[in-house]
Amino acid sequence: MIDQPLFTSLLLLPFLSAPLIYLLGRLSVRKGQDSGMKAARLLTLAALMAEIVLLVLTVKGAIGGGSVQILVGLEAMRFDGIGLILTGLVLVLGVCVTLFSIPYMNKEKGEEKFYALLMMTIGSIIGLGFSYDLFNLWIWFEAMAISTYFLVAFYNEQSASLEAGIKYLVQSSIGSALVLFGIAAIFATQGTVSLEDIWQYADQLGTLGALGMVLMIVGFGVKAALVPMHTWLPDAHSQAPSGISAMLSGVVIEAGLIAMLRVVSMTGKMNGNWAYILIIFALINILVGNLMALRQTEIKRMLAYSSLAHMGYMLFGFGIGFGFGSGTGAEGGFFHMLTHGLMKGLAFMSVGALLYVLKLVKGDHSSLKLDDLNGASRKYPLIAICLSVAVLALGGLPPFAGFMSKWMILVAGVETKNIWMLVAVGFVGLNSVLSLGYYAPIVNRLFKREQSEVVAAAYTRVSWMMSLPIMVLTLAVILIGVWPLLTDFILYNGQYFLLGYFFN
Amino acid sequence: MNLPIPFIVLLAVLSLAGTGFYCLLFTRNLIKVVVALQLIVKGVVLAFVLAGHLVQNESLAQTMAITVIVADTIVAVIGLALAVQIRLHTGSLDLKALSNLKR
Amino acid sequence: MINILIACSIGLPWLGALLVWLIGDKREKAQHWAAILFSVAAGAAAVLMLWHTSAESGLTITMGGVFGDFTFIPDGLGVFLSVIATVIGSLAVIFSTSYMKGETQIGRYYAFVLFFIGAMVGLVLTSNIMLMFFFWEITALCSYALIAFHNDDPKAVKGGIKALIITSIGGIGLLLGALILYVYTGTFDISVFIAAPSAVPAGMLAVLAFGFLIAAAAKSAQFPFQTWLPDAMEAPSPISALIHAATMVNAGVYLLARFFPAFKDVPYWCEAVMIVGMLSALLAAIMALTSMDLKRVLAYSTVSQLGYMVYAVGAGGVFASQFHLFSHSIFKALLFLAAGAVIHSVGTRDMEKMGGVGKHMPFVKWVFLIGALALSGIPVLNGFWSKEVVLEAGLAGGPSWIYGVMVLVAGLTALYTIRCVWKVFFGEARSDYHAHKVEMAMKVALAPLALAALVSWLAVGPFSTLLGTASLPQHHIESLNIAELVHEVLTLPTLIALAAIAIGVVLWLLRAKLEGFVEGLRGLRWAADHSFGFEAINSAVVRVTNSLAETLRNTQTGLLNWNVLGILAAVIILIAAISLGA
Repeated sequence: MIDQPLFTSLLLLPFLSAPLIYLLGRLSVRKGQDSGMKAARLLTLAALMAEIVLLVLTVKGAIGGGSVQILVGLEAMRFDGIGLILTGLVLVLGVCVTLFSIPYMNKEKGEEKFYALLMMTIGSIIGLGFSYDLFNLWIWFEAMAISTYFLVAFYNEQSASLEAGIKYLVQSSIGSALVLFGIAAIFATQGTVSLEDIWQYADQLGTLGALGMVLMIVGFGVKAALVPMHTWLPDAHSQAPSGISAMLSGVVIEAGLIAMLRVVSMTGKMNGNWAYILIIFALINILVGNLMALRQTEIKRMLAYSSLAHMGYMLFGFGIGFGFGSGTGAEGGFFHMLTHGLMKGLAFMSVGALLYVLKLVKGDHSSLKLDDLNGASRKYPLIAICLSVAVLALGGLPPFAGFMSKWMILVAGVETKNIWMLVAVGFVGLNSVLSLGYYAPIVNRLFKREQSEVVAAAYTRVSWMMSLPIMVLTLAVILIGVWPLLTDFILYNGQYFLLGYFFN
Repeated sequence: MNLPIPFIVLLAVLSLAGTGFYCLLFTRNLIKVVVALQLIVKGVVLAFVLAGHLVQNESLAQTMAITVIVADTIVAVIGLALAVQIRLHTGSLDLKALSNLKR
Repeated sequence: MINILIACSIGLPWLGALLVWLIGDKREKAQHWAAILFSVAAGAAAVLMLWHTSAESGLTITMGGVFGDFTFIPDGLGVFLSVIATVIGSLAVIFSTSYMKGETQIGRYYAFVLFFIGAMVGLVLTSNIMLMFFFWEITALCSYALIAFHNDDPKAVKGGIKALIITSIGGIGLLLGALILYVYTGTFDISVFIAAPSAVPAGMLAVLAFGFLIAAAAKSAQFPFQTWLPDAMEAPSPISALIHAATMVNAGVYLLARFFPAFKDVPYWCEAVMIVGMLSALLAAIMALTSMDLKRVLAYSTVSQLGYMVYAVGAGGVFASQFHLFSHSIFKALLFLAAGAVIHSVGTRDMEKMGGVGKHMPFVKWVFLIGALALSGIPVLNGFWSKEVVLEAGLAGGPSWIYGVMVLVAGLTALYTIRCVWKVFFGEARSDYHAHKVEMAMKVALAPLALAALVSWLAVGPFSTLLGTASLPQHHIESLNIAELVHEVLTLPTLIALAAIAIGVVLWLLRAKLEGFVEGLRGLRWAADHSFGFEAINSAVVRVTNSLAETLRNTQTGLLNWNVLGILAAVIILIAAISLGA
């Protein structure tokens, strides 16, 4: 059953609440009071909770008719399985990040902007997930980009974060311009930007259409951090406030990937082996990401590079999905998207908690080195365990979520019964082992007895508002690791809508 | 020489984008980088107008072009604001001085 | 009933792991007791399973999709290895209560030990190939965490990560094999595949079989992956006992034994398995001869003895390999725990600094001697019987030149074992160490193992029935009672093997007169000290990877123009690829 009002409010609520959050915070800051800021934080949380309720209600309404597939439509916005996955992920992570940021961003200059922009980012990602025409896709994509520019350069008195911010802005804008050229090219062939129409006429798009596709893949690929368009990512993800790093790595780059997949899924009738391009990108991303991460000395930068590799795993799954009609592949890609969001969010927040108590509290904005982690478990056992779970899960070790999602992707690879895919699966597996080469030492550092200087000098406790989301995510990572079927329903729907167009 | 108008517009699109990318590749000045971005996006706007003309769907093309202009202006404003901050804190607009985050 | 037992023998250690960790390091005593309680309870559950073995699936948890049903089958092979894992595991835990007393972060220690034991039981009982890989990797994770338990010691950390990486690389063989198995048979159930391996086309079956061989070799520290095991000696001694006798390394042999009926017809597979076993046995024995580190000698001997088991599987002697595994688990646990007692007391692992320890620790001397005699294959200890059965199986099912090498290795085993015993327990003290007295908990763990090393072979009847056709229909293992065992063993080949062992002993006794001969073998000694170049290969791989990573890092110049070039390059390459008809 279509439930138009629910869906519309799901889309609009973030944009209605964002200005309100800003105003509340701004007014109280000007008056020098804290009450308004408190209200702003609460409003952020409340709006996100309301979003979750709206999402659940929309899904319920949509499957009320007895059919499993979900489809609710506005003009160019449709509620379907792909959007559901992205929305679910961004809301879960959004609540966690908001809670985490309350102590983390407390008393920072421009705190009210932080929450308002976070809300806008979340809102645009939700919109992006549900877009069904090219131009809408671009608008939400650009809105997401614009709201994250400020967040990356949030510490606007630190030259490092300014540098990361401007690089992010320039490269992201280039990507966005390439997307626009691509849209113009496609538009010039058939005079439509609706994905459904494009899918229908895909065999008549010709050279100009193919050029448009290439430009869009590269353009969205900038945001999805495909090698060699990835160069902004390590800077932006390591310099942003940790909550934002969690959002960026956990869901923003995935949103770029979703946008790209929406486009690729319309090329079913088109000439050209688009799926193989995705697979090649995937393999390169995995290798480069892991190698770049291997020798890093700053933990956030290392995690940022490892996101490259994880984008590769997802893309490998999707590539197999498109190339061989493998539902398992697409499901695996979505599964890894979910688990990576949780794991990487967890990793960045745990690191953020340590960064906060070890450095930020003292006004030290330098980055957290790997050496600084030594012996952290002595003072922060909970965070140390959660961070260990996060990195081991990222490395693909059981009984954590990352194992299950990688498993699913690799199953899809072998299911093709294609010898090259078998080789690729072996390659991906080896890379996963390689990644243990930088994940595992982190755990050893944390549990050293000898403490680094910063740990020895630390006195602040981690507030419960930081620990709570970290613990929740840790539990989720373990739970999905031992009970992978929890996510089955939404994965199936995502896969259905992604491949449905491609193969019909 | 009797070039059709769409062809001239196409040339304009290509030269705008080309100039922009050339500039992005070779300039070391942050302000010029922002200007280069603007050039590229102006090319995009023209491209939409051209595409709309080709498929006889000018109204949609205009909507899109205007939206692009709006979004692009916001990006330019943010970019320049960041440039101001960078000039304030590092005393330079040189991209070379802005390459401390590497490896 | 059986379902509850299965759930208990996997679940109790895991529950215990959680509990020990929750108890917290401030209540050390409670942690010790909780660890003992849960490991012994799991051991009891596993032992009870011996009376409930069957080839039918026991516990099943429906999962479906690409995960299959989580099924556990309590057949003879699985139950036998569960008993080994839990019983020897609990002895190691009991030993730890004394060995690890006063250490910091004892909760982490016990949590991983218990987690390890539970995972091992899960690994051998499950019949779901994905779950098998799941437990397989958990054992890798646990071994890593335990080997690197002393995180402040860079050698320990390095050893742990090395174990993790090497076994995970081997794990890719298992991963590929598992995926092929699933894709071509359409089910995750191992028993379905073993009953009808022809469902997998020949080429893929070969990939599967050799993939599993790689996985097993990495896990059981066989050629060419043997290098991680000696470095794993940085772990606390009870962990070495756990890894060497109860859990980790048995997994590889288990994998080969489990899948033997399916792979035996794959061309060259059996030959490859035998050669891997032979090379491991030979090279490790030579390295054991030259090493001066007590725990390393034992580690090499593990590699060597596992070589015998692998060799036996390759020759078709699944029963022989498991019988030797049975003996080996007992005497190797005994040797490691006894060595742990020595090291704990003397404070060094260097045999050069020991000598005459026997005078201070007579109990440990005697139990170590029993273990050493069993390891050397001296009658009538358990090692003698099982090694002879392995050699018989090898002669029957494999080429005679490999058999010859294995007999030679039996002689070498006797030589290095007697050397080790002599250097540690006899002669004069070569440094002034202060031997402490052996604590009760240590004795409690050592005594039953020593007794078992003497008599465990008497259980050959029930043991062969356990692995018989009733529970392993595809393996065709015939039951064997003691009289038959004695009859089978007392033949000419046994005398040859005993002669080789005797020569080994004589060589040691004549060592003073043979100095010139030993001098002549200096090249071999040098090679052995450098682990025959495998260590160099390992470090070369690490070095190349690291320098590749460092080189690649240069591509991140941080300059915006360069970054833009990356984007443009992608556009151009993609357009080229598309126009070239991709």
